[in-house]
Amino acid sequence: MIFTIFKKELKDTLRDKRTLMMMLVIPILIFPIILNVFVSISSSFSEDAATKEINIGFVGTPDNYLLKQIESIPENLGEKKIIIYSDSSALKRDVKSDSLQVGMFTSVSFNDNLTQKKPAEVIVYHNVTSVGMEQRGRVYVDIVKDIALQERYLDMDLKESELTPIVSEYSNVASNKEMIGKLAGGILPYIFIAFGFLGCMYPAIDLFTGEKERGTIETLLTTPVARWQILFGKMGVVVSSGLLAASAALFGLFLSIEVLDIVENEELLSVIHGILNLKFVLLMFGLLFPLTVFFAGIMIPVAVYAKSFKEAQSIITPINLVVILPAMVGFFPGIELTPLTASIPVVNIVLATKELIAGTLEFWLLGISFAVMIAIAVIAVFISFKRFDKESNIVI
Amino acid sequence: MIEIHNLRKEFALSKQQRKELNTSESIATAVDDISFSCKPGRVFSLLGPNGAGKTTTLRMISTIFKPTSGSIKIAGVDAVTHPREAREKIGFLTGSTGLYARLTPNELIKYFADLYKIPKKEFEERKDYLYTLLDMNHFQGKRIGKLSTGMKQKVSICRTMIHDPEVVVFDEPTSGLDVITAENIIELIKNCKNEGKTVIFSSHIMSEVNLLCDDLAIMHQGKMLYNGEMSTFKSEMKSANLTEEFIRIVKSSNAVEA
Repeated sequence: MIFTIFKKELKDTLRDKRTLMMMLVIPILIFPIILNVFVSISSSFSEDAATKEINIGFVGTPDNYLLKQIESIPENLGEKKIIIYSDSSALKRDVKSDSLQVGMFTSVSFNDNLTQKKPAEVIVYHNVTSVGMEQRGRVYVDIVKDIALQERYLDMDLKESELTPIVSEYSNVASNKEMIGKLAGGILPYIFIAFGFLGCMYPAIDLFTGEKERGTIETLLTTPVARWQILFGKMGVVVSSGLLAASAALFGLFLSIEVLDIVENEELLSVIHGILNLKFVLLMFGLLFPLTVFFAGIMIPVAVYAKSFKEAQSIITPINLVVILPAMVGFFPGIELTPLTASIPVVNIVLATKELIAGTLEFWLLGISFAVMIAIAVIAVFISFKRFDKESNIVI
Repeated sequence: MIEIHNLRKEFALSKQQRKELNTSESIATAVDDISFSCKPGRVFSLLGPNGAGKTTTLRMISTIFKPTSGSIKIAGVDAVTHPREAREKIGFLTGSTGLYARLTPNELIKYFADLYKIPKKEFEERKDYLYTLLDMNHFQGKRIGKLSTGMKQKVSICRTMIHDPEVVVFDEPTSGLDVITAENIIELIKNCKNEGKTVIFSSHIMSEVNLLCDDLAIMHQGKMLYNGEMSTFKSEMKSANLTEEFIRIVKSSNAVEA
């Protein structure tokens, strides 16, 4: 009987354009759109910032050492136009208004200090809202600094190695997979959770509140089917819709990588290829299943209680925030899956998925997360059952 | 056969409902100790003004609501202790009954046949009979949302009758329908009667009651004011017609309470 109700409700749901939009179309499109926008914006920003022609304002004497050296830096490090300023206030004003991208201020004693083997000071002005300009200024000054240092070693007849008693090297032992998993892995479970929730939302409202509004619930209740069977049949569709929406998002990611070739970065590609495997997908859905049951268990009592589609929507939408906020914990580096975080619903799913992507997931913590999610899903189903069994809730 | 004894239904009132009803009582009695019986091959009409308790009574008969006390027997089955078995014997239709707009009549009828666990052969025969009777063959594959009100009503009737119920419950079945669509319902009730089914229906329309019913009960504020045969009711009338007599009985009950 549960399957008969499930089949009918699924057919009915899949014929609803609004649900299809939220459950399949938007989740499939989200990754191609996000990745496309992210990749094109970030690549155009970084390429642009590193090579575009910039105006450098300079305050200093015409024979200033720094000025001469910067002028001689080859154009392959980016084209530049140097404009001489007589005072720092005009220089700062033009950097602020972005007519200059970098401003350099040196004192009149700059060359003398260099000659006398004293530190010669330069102040580099930049506007942090002009992406990459601080880096351009830093690159020019560092090149000149290196040239001046080598000249000073030569003058003083010193070897660089003699003035470097300790050589340190910092080597990252984390694999790219781990780094991407820990730093950016939060976005994937966040999107799956968000779509899992949205995927459940419309069917939950349509199958419970909608049925009351349309006046079909009475006829269903007069058939020889137990209420718990009706509830489970409908709940099955709500859960499946959440999982379908998450699957559609995963399919969208697959499309972006394998068909649309949006991501070109080899390291990122190898990580994504690494996680788009059967084991990851199965574990991911193993975690998502109790989560969507939990979502359904939260939404159904609301949908059963609400007297109209609008009322149900207005109660469930704020719940979305309550669920999505803990899912954002995945964006913060440093928060890891521990026995404590594994006991917090939603947070545990995000962190477990992050660790899964990074390949550092400890299975006993996954066990705790899974047990917690199953427990709250059972509680949520029980509450749904109690609400659905209440006469005043099911008939308007 | 429907047998009702000392049926009572109380609802707990929420704060909001108490405010709306302007009462301090925490419990409202919708049906107050009523008894009656409906016999096979006869049409029983439940009359009463709005809020009389008709719909609550019919919902208890259909096992949507559980009575606070009292007993209901549907074709010999105790509907309070064995509601699922009782539901197998009931067909239920209201004027506001909705249908699944995204399904076709074929899909909807099959769905309900499956819920009633009707064997395939029996289902096909019953479906053919009802489709022909209701002239449904030409729109059986169209989405219900695209059908006219009359067609939808025929689908509702077919859905109600697909399991060939012994007892048919109609709650204001013609309410909100145009005359031609309402005629389908009138015909259905007549058919049910001729087939020996037990029919109970609630209505506001006295011409329908006069045309169809063999027995009637008048309810007001949850209580039963009259219960008997239509012929006896007519012979004992103190007013010129059914409508006036109905109003007189309800008003005199109000006067007694005051």
